[in-house]
Amino acid sequence: MASVTISGVEKWFGTLQILHGIDIDIEDQEFVVLVGPSGCGKSTLLRMIAGLESISDGEISIGTRMINDVPARDRDIAMVFQNYALYPHMSVFDNIGFSLKLRKRSKQEISEKINEAAEILDLTPYLERSPRQLSGGQRQRVAMGRALVRDAQVFLFDEPLSNLDAKLRVVMRTEIKALHQRLKTTSVYVTHDQIEAMTMADRIVVMNKGRVEQTGTPMDLYDFPANLFVADFIGSPSMNFIEGIVAADNEGPFVMAKDRTRLAISRESSAALGQKVVYGARPEHLVLASGNEGFDATIEVIEPTGPNIQIFADVAGQRICALSTERRTHKPGQRIRLHCPETSVHLFDASSGARI
Amino acid sequence: MTPKLKKSLLYWLLLSPLCVVILLPFGIMFVTALRPRDELFVYPPTWTFSEFRWENFAEMWVKTNFGGALLNSLYVSLTSTIIAIVLSIPAAYALSRYRFSGKGLYRNFLLMTQMMSPIVLVLGLFRLMVHLNLVNSLNSLVVTYVAFNMAFTIWMLQSYFNTIPRELEEASWIDGATSFTSLVKIFLPLAVPAMVVTAIFTFINSWNEFVLALTLIRSQNDYTLPVQIFSQVAGRYQVEWHHVMAATVLATVPVAIVFSWLQRYLIRGMALGAVK
Repeated sequence: MASVTISGVEKWFGTLQILHGIDIDIEDQEFVVLVGPSGCGKSTLLRMIAGLESISDGEISIGTRMINDVPARDRDIAMVFQNYALYPHMSVFDNIGFSLKLRKRSKQEISEKINEAAEILDLTPYLERSPRQLSGGQRQRVAMGRALVRDAQVFLFDEPLSNLDAKLRVVMRTEIKALHQRLKTTSVYVTHDQIEAMTMADRIVVMNKGRVEQTGTPMDLYDFPANLFVADFIGSPSMNFIEGIVAADNEGPFVMAKDRTRLAISRESSAALGQKVVYGARPEHLVLASGNEGFDATIEVIEPTGPNIQIFADVAGQRICALSTERRTHKPGQRIRLHCPETSVHLFDASSGARI
Repeated sequence: MTPKLKKSLLYWLLLSPLCVVILLPFGIMFVTALRPRDELFVYPPTWTFSEFRWENFAEMWVKTNFGGALLNSLYVSLTSTIIAIVLSIPAAYALSRYRFSGKGLYRNFLLMTQMMSPIVLVLGLFRLMVHLNLVNSLNSLVVTYVAFNMAFTIWMLQSYFNTIPRELEEASWIDGATSFTSLVKIFLPLAVPAMVVTAIFTFINSWNEFVLALTLIRSQNDYTLPVQIFSQVAGRYQVEWHHVMAATVLATVPVAIVFSWLQRYLIRGMALGAVK
C-alpha cells in the first residue's frame, strides 16, 4: 500500500487541454473519490494514474516512486473498469487468476488466492462459469476479484457501478466500502454520482472542466462548499440559489432579491453592502415558518418521497425546493412562509462564484 | 392457414426467381456429370437419364489430371490465405488501435484498390512476374492473390477488431501483461471468428480466381482447377461435357460444404464481440 501524489499534472490531446495543472495528495490507505460532471477529466486523470494515458506535464508518484514513464504493468496497481472488461473467453477462475499466472506464481498459490477472493466476494459457486453466464452484479464482483488477488498498492475504480441497476448499485457501494475498511488499500474512485462520492469517500475531489474545484471530506464539502459549482453539485436535491444584493436595516443584514424579498443573513457575514451575491440554502434547511420570520413562497409542486416531502415553491420568481418532514397537507398555489436559519445560509460572490 | 405460414409462402414466392437463377446451373451441372456420354445431346433436353454413371468421375479424374490441378489449387489457395491473414492481422490491429498520420488516406487507398478489376492489371502483373522470374510458378499466383486479397482482409479484420473493447487489453496490461502477451492471450483468441470468416472468403476468392491463373501459368502441370477445367473446353475439337461437369462438381461442392459449415463462426463471431 502506498500514497499517491499528483502534482501539476496536465493533459493535452493535440491542442486541446483536458487537465489544467492538477494537484492531489492521496494518503496511504485513503479512499479518495474523484467526482464531477462528464467531460471534467476525472476518468482521464484516473487513466493517467493507471498508465493508460500518457502524462503531458507534471508528475504522478506512487509511494516515493515517480511513475510517469513506468508502463501500466509495472505500476503495481489494480483497476476495475466501468464495463468490467472481463476476458470473455476465460472462466471466472481464469479471469481472477490471470494476473497471478502472468507473474508465474505456483499453481497452488494461484488457486488459494482465487478461492480466498471468491470467498470474500461470494463467487465460489461461479468459478467455472464464463462471464457471459453471470449477472451484472456478479460480473462486477469478478472484476473486483481480479483486483483483490493482486495485493496491489493502489486500487483504481472507473465508475464501476454505473452499469448496475439502482438497487444493486446501493448494495455494491456498501460492499466496496466494507471491503476497503477491511483491506485498507489506497483507492481512487471515479464517479459522476455525488451520492456515491458522499457515501464512500474519505475525501472527495470535485473536478470541473479539467480543474479541481475543491478537495475535502464529504461533510466539509457539504457544509462549506468553496464555490457555487461545488454547492450545486454536492447534495441531492441540490442547493437553492437566489440572486440578490447585500443590504441592511434595523434587524440586520440581508440579501435583497430582485422582487425585494428579504433574505436574512448572519451578522458575522463578511459580505459588503451593495455586493452582488448568490444566496444559497439547502432544501433541508428551509423550514416552514410562522409569523414574521423568513420570506414568502408560493407552492408549485409537491413531491412526497416517503421520509420527507419535497415542496417546490416560487420565491422571487425562482423555483426553490424545501424538504419538510411534516405531513401537513399543503396544496399547490398555497402561500407559505419559509425560513432558513442564518447560520445555515451560504453566500457566494455573484461574479466569481466563490464562497463569501 | 396461419398468418405466419402465409407470410412464409409469400417470401418464398418472391424469392423463387432468384432461386431458379442460382440453382439451375447447379442442376444442369449435376445431371450432366452423372449422364452416360451418348445421352449428352438428346433433343429436347431432359432432366432424366438412363443410369447414374459414377464412372464419369473416375474417368475424368485420370483423363483431365484432376488430382494434380486439385493439389495446385489447394497449394495456392491455402498458402495465399495463410499469408494474407498473417500479414493483415498487424495491419488491421494498427488501424484499429493506433492513431497515426495518414491513417484515413491508407484506409481509402485500401478501398480504392478494391475498385480495380484484376483484368486491368493483368498485363502489368505479367511483366512484373517476368521480371521477378516467377512466370509459370505457382508462387506467382500466391503473391498476387495475397496482394489482391489483403485490402479486403485488412478491411474486414479491422472492422471486427473495432468491436473488441479496448478495455480488455487495458485490463490485461494492468494485470501485468506485455503488449505481446496481451495480443496473444486476450486479443487474438477473441478475434478467431473474424479470422476464420476472413480466411474463408480469401480462400474462396483464390480458389475461384481464373484470369490471373490463366495468364501467369503456362505449363499444364501447374494449372489450377479453374484453368484446368477451362482447358477441357477451350480450343478442342471435341468437348467431353460430362467430364467437364464432373470436374466442376468436384471443384465446387466440397468448398460449398466447407463454407456453409464454417458459417456458424460468422454468427458466433458477432455474438462474441457483444460481450460486455
